[in-house]
Amino acid sequence: MSSIFRGKFATAIKIAILAITTAILSLLAQSAFASGESAIGAFLVFAIVALNFTYFTKFSIPLKFFVPGILFFIAFVIAPIVFTVIMSVFNYQTGNYISKPASIEQVLILGVESDANQTTFDLVAGKDSNGDYAVLVSDIANQRFFISTQDKITDVDASKLIINEYGVATTAPGFTAISDNELAANDAYSKIRYKYQDGYYVKIEGQGVGAVFRQKIAYDAKTDTMKNIITGETYINNGKGNFALEGSPETVLTPGWRAPIWFENYTKLVTDTRFRTPLIKVFIWTVVFSALTVLSTFSFGLLLALALNRKMRGRRIYRSILILPYAMPSIMSILIWGGMFDSEFGAINNILHTHIAWFSSATFARAAVLLVNLWLGFPYFYLICSGSLQAIPSELLEAAAIDGANPRQIFRRITLPLLLQILSPLLIASFAYNFNNFNLIYLLTGGGPRNSLDGEVAGATDILISYTYQIAFGRGMNDFGLASAISVIIFLLVASISFYGLKKSKVMETFG
Amino acid sequence: MKNRLLKGLALAATVSFAASLTIVPAQAANEILVWADETRGPNLTKVFAKKGDWVPGSTIKVVSFSSYDALKAALDNASGTTGPDIFVAGNDWVPALAKSGKLAPVVLTAAQKAQFTPSQFFDLSYGGNLYGVPVDVNNVGMVFNTKLVKTAPKTYGEMVNYYLANKTKKGLKAGLCVAGGGMSWGALSGFSALGAEPYMMNSDGTVNYNKSFDPTVFAKNVSTLLLDKKGKSNGFWPATDTGCQDNFLAGKVPFAIIGNWHWRTFAEAGFEMNIMPVPGVKAGTYGKMFGSVSGAFLTSYAETHGVSVSAKSLLTSFFASTKGQVAYQAEEGRPPAEKGAQKSQLVLGGQKAMGAAASLSSIPQIGAFLNTNKGGASYWDSAPAYWTAVLVDGKNPLVEAKKLAAIWKANVAAGKADL
Repeated sequence: MSSIFRGKFATAIKIAILAITTAILSLLAQSAFASGESAIGAFLVFAIVALNFTYFTKFSIPLKFFVPGILFFIAFVIAPIVFTVIMSVFNYQTGNYISKPASIEQVLILGVESDANQTTFDLVAGKDSNGDYAVLVSDIANQRFFISTQDKITDVDASKLIINEYGVATTAPGFTAISDNELAANDAYSKIRYKYQDGYYVKIEGQGVGAVFRQKIAYDAKTDTMKNIITGETYINNGKGNFALEGSPETVLTPGWRAPIWFENYTKLVTDTRFRTPLIKVFIWTVVFSALTVLSTFSFGLLLALALNRKMRGRRIYRSILILPYAMPSIMSILIWGGMFDSEFGAINNILHTHIAWFSSATFARAAVLLVNLWLGFPYFYLICSGSLQAIPSELLEAAAIDGANPRQIFRRITLPLLLQILSPLLIASFAYNFNNFNLIYLLTGGGPRNSLDGEVAGATDILISYTYQIAFGRGMNDFGLASAISVIIFLLVASISFYGLKKSKVMETFG
Repeated sequence: MKNRLLKGLALAATVSFAASLTIVPAQAANEILVWADETRGPNLTKVFAKKGDWVPGSTIKVVSFSSYDALKAALDNASGTTGPDIFVAGNDWVPALAKSGKLAPVVLTAAQKAQFTPSQFFDLSYGGNLYGVPVDVNNVGMVFNTKLVKTAPKTYGEMVNYYLANKTKKGLKAGLCVAGGGMSWGALSGFSALGAEPYMMNSDGTVNYNKSFDPTVFAKNVSTLLLDKKGKSNGFWPATDTGCQDNFLAGKVPFAIIGNWHWRTFAEAGFEMNIMPVPGVKAGTYGKMFGSVSGAFLTSYAETHGVSVSAKSLLTSFFASTKGQVAYQAEEGRPPAEKGAQKSQLVLGGQKAMGAAASLSSIPQIGAFLNTNKGGASYWDSAPAYWTAVLVDGKNPLVEAKKLAAIWKANVAAGKADL
């Protein structure tokens, strides 16, 4: 057996696997650098070096086992956390996605205006007698024809032109036209601003078509300001990722850029009532939801485990049935429950002969969420409680019984404390998991109901993570910076609660 | 060891180099990259497979996404190297994408503009710039089951009376429900027929900023037509769209609002129905629907890819042309936006009927007013919230209507700056 891991064959396999891995990572690195994602590219290069160094040397044998895990841990745990923390101090929202240079470029592209008549011309692209890029323009309405380059405009008499059946000049003396195929192949023609009159220029807007524009916005790199050349208005860098009109900070040029605003996203959560009020409400419900879920699933699971801990006919069948909800994909279960709770056609209302609008009332929606989560969660606690009950020494229970304790006392004084000691880490983990139980909320209620008419931003069943999702990816406008700040707070909360719980349960001491 | 290390690295480097040679460039030269969703994409692919020379010197590549949401996510994450030159989608993405610098302005000639109605350009514009060309009309229409209702209703009250008279006898689940477009976009007709609109339009296609809907009139109509004597829902107009299509097809709902992308499904199922706008409270008036358009949009990446001229040419020669829209809609089945294509003999009856319903009573879908939540909530969130508050929670229709009117008025005032 050990020969598989040694010898020439094993070395060949190792080299082949590493070569393929290196090739794949090289491709990804190349693609990352080409896309401008230099941090990802650098990490991939680091991964290539780390993998080859680890497996082609005897530097560290344990590292050969750990290095893939470490690389995945960095890529999928450390990097997202670091990225989220960094983004939380940025103005990163709809309108502020791109870099500052890209933003300036876009503002200048958009900072043009058509003339009053929104004039367009038929034109032919080509080169003039000097070999400069030029367009032969046909102003059919005014029967004017001219050849225009970046620097000059030359009128041409109609009699010297060949004009097609649509009145468009196709050739002129000293002008060499290019075909549409050539124009498609050479984008340089479309980048030039061909001279026109009164400060306006002609730009190619498609094969055979040009439009008249003039530049309205100009950038001054020295003062880092944008200026409206026509009106004289100045837009200053507001330090938050936009050029804002002097004296009217609400008026900004778009697109803006992703700019650091340090702790503004965090202070907004505390000082801005639009965010603070729903956040407090959502936080309270998140804690209640997580706590009730843990309590209900644990209690029900324990109850069933106790019931099936005794010998009874058909125990195996009951045990198998009880595990079924756990075996079924939770997404399917949630969607089925969603249908069952439907107020018009749902099975629950039909069976109960009621007309409860489960997802329109805050109380019923919360009850539905807890009920569905109980269904999804109890098999897990049933399983671990069953296992833990087996682990409690029967001598303890027998000794208590001999001492005269009744079953209730035995359970309360011996079984439950021992179970809690064993299961504390899992209860804490379950609380932390449900703190971020996005799937359930998103698929069952979408966070609702929320009374938008009264300005409610957060829904009655929104937990912190679904509320964050709504801010980050909600309809229309996204605010990734603010969502990142809330994510960081959730991370700190869950980490603190878990750490405190684990410390209280002394599990860490056991591990230590 | 050193020798082995060097050999291994040499081999790995060789394989890597060989593999990297196989990299296909993201976009071939003179190739126009078009992104679309799971229905539009395959249909565009079919059309371009039949005729691909819409722009001389350029080829067209269509990338289809698994869903509309997947397309949106891809656009949100697109960069200069990965993004498309053109994408086809509804107009409601325009404000966010334009604000983020992902769209590039488009200039049309006077002749090209004349082939569309001015209001269609509202939907595709932001901050004074036009970012795409109208491709097809997105609207709803009210269909009625001709086995239940023999003649077209003239007023909203007629429909309510029919429902109340036959509710028990025919086991009707509702009178009028929304089977297409949801309780905000699709349900506008339901609001509008009773007197509520998110913004008021002048007859010349401009917005009337001096006027907003009267909550008192609207609430009175809601009370009279949708509530019983105890102030509870009479069941005519459900607060949700769940099960509407199934119930309509099962003959349990006589009237339904369907999207124009649905009509073919209904027709092919052999269902007998007529298409019309939702009738208003008074005879001869109709509830307005969003006569919005889907567009083909030019991205700022086209410039980066060096195909901006070709991409602009594809917009005008195919997406905005009579020939292009007829060819495309023969596959897609929506009413074309371009006037020439609308008149074409090749456009099917259902498409024309839907188009006719839209032309009878529609308003442009102005994202700047509808998407903003400056008034406290966007149109999309506040509209369904009204029905829940009144029809489910039993709240006072006038009190809630006043809240709704205040939100919509504030949203219009806030969105005005973006037009």
